[in-house]
Amino acid sequence: MNIVVLIKQVPDPEALVEIAASGKDLNIEPKFAINLFDEFAIEEALRLKEKHGGTVKVICLGGPKAIEALRTAIAMGADEAALIEDGSFAARDGYDTALVLSGALKKETFDIILCGRQAIDADRGEVPQMVAEFLGLPHVGVIVKLDIADGKATAESALEGVPEVVEVGLPAIFTAQKGLNEPRVPLITGVMKAMKVQIPRFTLEDLGVPKDVQPKTTILRYLPRKKRPAVQFIEGEPAQAAAEIVRVLVDVERVI
Amino acid sequence: MDFAFTEEQEFFKKIITDTVDKMVVPKAREIDEKDEFPWELWKDFTRLGYLGLRYPEEIGGMNADPVTAMIFYEQIARGSVGFAQSVIMNILMGTYFVYRFGSDTIKERCLYPAMRGEKVTTMCFTEDQSGSDLAATRTTAVKDGSEWIINGTKMWITNGPVADFATVLATTDLSLGAKGLNFFLVEKGTPGFSPGQVLDKLGCRGTVTGELVFDDVRIPEENLLGAELNKGIEYLGEILDEVRVMTGAMAMGIAQAAYNEGLEYARKRIAFGKPIGNYQLIRAKFADMATEMEASRLLIYSAAWKMKEKLPSRIEAAMAKMFATETCCKVVDEVTRIWGANGFANEYNPQRHFRDARFLLYGGGTHEILKDFMGRLLIGKA
Repeated sequence: MNIVVLIKQVPDPEALVEIAASGKDLNIEPKFAINLFDEFAIEEALRLKEKHGGTVKVICLGGPKAIEALRTAIAMGADEAALIEDGSFAARDGYDTALVLSGALKKETFDIILCGRQAIDADRGEVPQMVAEFLGLPHVGVIVKLDIADGKATAESALEGVPEVVEVGLPAIFTAQKGLNEPRVPLITGVMKAMKVQIPRFTLEDLGVPKDVQPKTTILRYLPRKKRPAVQFIEGEPAQAAAEIVRVLVDVERVI
Repeated sequence: MDFAFTEEQEFFKKIITDTVDKMVVPKAREIDEKDEFPWELWKDFTRLGYLGLRYPEEIGGMNADPVTAMIFYEQIARGSVGFAQSVIMNILMGTYFVYRFGSDTIKERCLYPAMRGEKVTTMCFTEDQSGSDLAATRTTAVKDGSEWIINGTKMWITNGPVADFATVLATTDLSLGAKGLNFFLVEKGTPGFSPGQVLDKLGCRGTVTGELVFDDVRIPEENLLGAELNKGIEYLGEILDEVRVMTGAMAMGIAQAAYNEGLEYARKRIAFGKPIGNYQLIRAKFADMATEMEASRLLIYSAAWKMKEKLPSRIEAAMAKMFATETCCKVVDEVTRIWGANGFANEYNPQRHFRDARFLLYGGGTHEILKDFMGRLLIGKA
């Protein structure tokens, strides 16, 4: 069974993020990590490989620094990795990102594609669905369980409150939700392999993806987060204060 | 001149940082509070294979160069210095002489299991009346036929109470001072070898530290860890620089952990309507801490680079150890001040870093001794 995992390198959750003076860009402290949900996707791919055999290949679209994310995937146990190197990837939106990744996937043979449910930087969660569309593949999103048998997959999606169990033929695309698994910590043997491995880099030309594809969306500006208002103390006897709290929540803040 | 880590070292740093964040940081507080050897974490962490960090790949190690090793030492200590000391003992001091001089059967029995974390190890230098002054070692080794008989008491032994085997410094002749010293392998279960008092320490809790008693302990001839008799001090020289720089790297681990706590607090603690990081006196503290930490790391990693290149590094190693651990003590002090009274509360982490930092002042050589040593080398025979 051949599995391809699409991953994204995102700013470390602890990196400082500030809106640039222009208001159109973000200044992000250069600390990076594999997107949290993509770690679940890698782990699931490794578990499927351990159970059913096959190979795991990890593909990332990003700048040169993204090699680190791919090395991490190799350290965890992935067999192969490839970087689609594109300096302008940060300016892309879900549409043209999905177009580039689909181009890369057309050169692969796979039974399963795994991705994170969304990247934790922009939180849009739109690339896997579009990749599925471009490749004409079924897509099952936000999965917390995945079983493969007889050339078919049974996946459990974590819909709000109501889990949904879906059966789908392969090849197919799945996006990983928290709860699918617990990503492993790399063994030193994997780390050593990852330190030495040469990770191939591809350009858009290599993939035959036109360079002039335009994003479908444009970011106009970033808005600073609203400052949290000061804490209000509600005085009075408990019963009185409780009534006042309910009044504020219902009539003033309109949150309930 | 190139000050950058290689891409491989950068990657290793990222992986070990993440691993420590995931496995060690969440346990640090409990390790400190319980002050017991953290067996569960030991098993989980050592399973990953890091204990073979410095040994060749052919025997299951990673063959890490000294620079990469320092990255590891720094990060593991950032997680929990109590745990780091036990781990590093197995990686370096507790196994080095077994690796260097042990017979194949000794390696099978001790070294390889220690690299896999199946055995806990230690190195015994310090005694009640001698630490830096190794020439005053009173533990004796007397040859009796094909055996050595060890007698004496060791103190301040890291991992001592739980160690499966120990590399023991002992003299074959009290009158020879440093020139009579040798290393011997003593394994748990050998009659006469027993743990004594366990020390209750201010910091580095979770590393169980204590006394080891050797009462007519008979060991076979091959347990002498050395190619020649009475060359122990020379052999010690082979790892002395790494031990010192490693101590500095651990100090940077503690300093970084404390600094991060300080940073978080300065960004969110409000005083007079603003986060305290907006005030110049607080900002100055970060400028000073970051400057001295950067200087410490330059000393640590340049000394490690010299070791990697097999260049002389004795003075540089002592400088790195001294400067980094003194910096660490300043940083943990400043961070507790930034935290105000909360820095004094056991509920939060700064007090733990404050306590932990102290031990590194003495481990790896007191600064009084190191200064004397460096001054002697720098001035020459006056």
